[in-house]
Amino acid sequence: MLLLISLAGILYAWQWIHTEAGTGPAMVEIYHDEVLLAQYPFPEPGKIIHFEAEGELGISEIIIDSEGVHFSSSPCRTQYCISNGRHSEGGEIIACVPNRILIAIKGSRINGSHYDAMVE
Amino acid sequence: MNRSIPRPSLPALEHKAKWLSLLLLAVSLHVFEAALPSLGPWFKPGLANIATLLALAILGPSAAAMLAIWRVIVGSFLIGTLFTPTFIISLAGGVAAAIAMLTAWRLLPGITLIGVSLIGALAHMTVQFVTVESLFIHQQALYYLLPPLLLLSVFTGWINGGLAAYIVSQLKESD
Repeated sequence: MLLLISLAGILYAWQWIHTEAGTGPAMVEIYHDEVLLAQYPFPEPGKIIHFEAEGELGISEIIIDSEGVHFSSSPCRTQYCISNGRHSEGGEIIACVPNRILIAIKGSRINGSHYDAMVE
Repeated sequence: MNRSIPRPSLPALEHKAKWLSLLLLAVSLHVFEAALPSLGPWFKPGLANIATLLALAILGPSAAAMLAIWRVIVGSFLIGTLFTPTFIISLAGGVAAAIAMLTAWRLLPGITLIGVSLIGALAHMTVQFVTVESLFIHQQALYYLLPPLLLLSVFTGWINGGLAAYIVSQLKESD
């Protein structure tokens, strides 16, 4: 019974979050703590966006290409953020907790993967 | 002058010896988990929680709570993460899991160790996220990752609870 209630609650929350995060065109948002450092759409194939996010410990390097977004280097000791690999779907995140950098993908790549807005 | 040092009773000594044995088991599992290949930045199988469950079933709630706290402190010291964000997240999760498990053990009559473990695993994962969001990265987008990891926690909590129940039954048979 406990198991069924847990599973039902989790699946409902998952569906709700997926719906919340999945509206609008796909955008990569990069935060340092509460501050939005940059916001990019996924680039066209062959183009690469390289972003340096300054956090508590130093610079985290982030690569965005048409396949997804990932940390390419980080000053943290554990390097979990790098081993977390590349992500590309709306509702996915990659976090570097020691450096307090968060990458969140919002929107859906199916509804419209590219547009020209960029905030930096 | 005949001053004798007060000696603890045999049952008290036995209780301490069992607690220390479980602490050693918990710390060993904590270090072992840290050495495992990462299954993701937030996810561990929670094997050390088996020792907390054993302490709960064999020694009682207060011994289990103390074990959960000391396991994180000693384990973090040994793997070199003491007082880092990893330690704070781990301690918050461990203490929350212990409180949730003890509460369930006391308030839900007839609950099994598997049910207790499941509640502990869910509390552990949820409080880790709340800790990160409130202390380190103030972004609600963090919670996007919570549901899939809670699903994995249900799975591992179930397995760990089953293992703990099996060990307790074997220990009772051997007594």
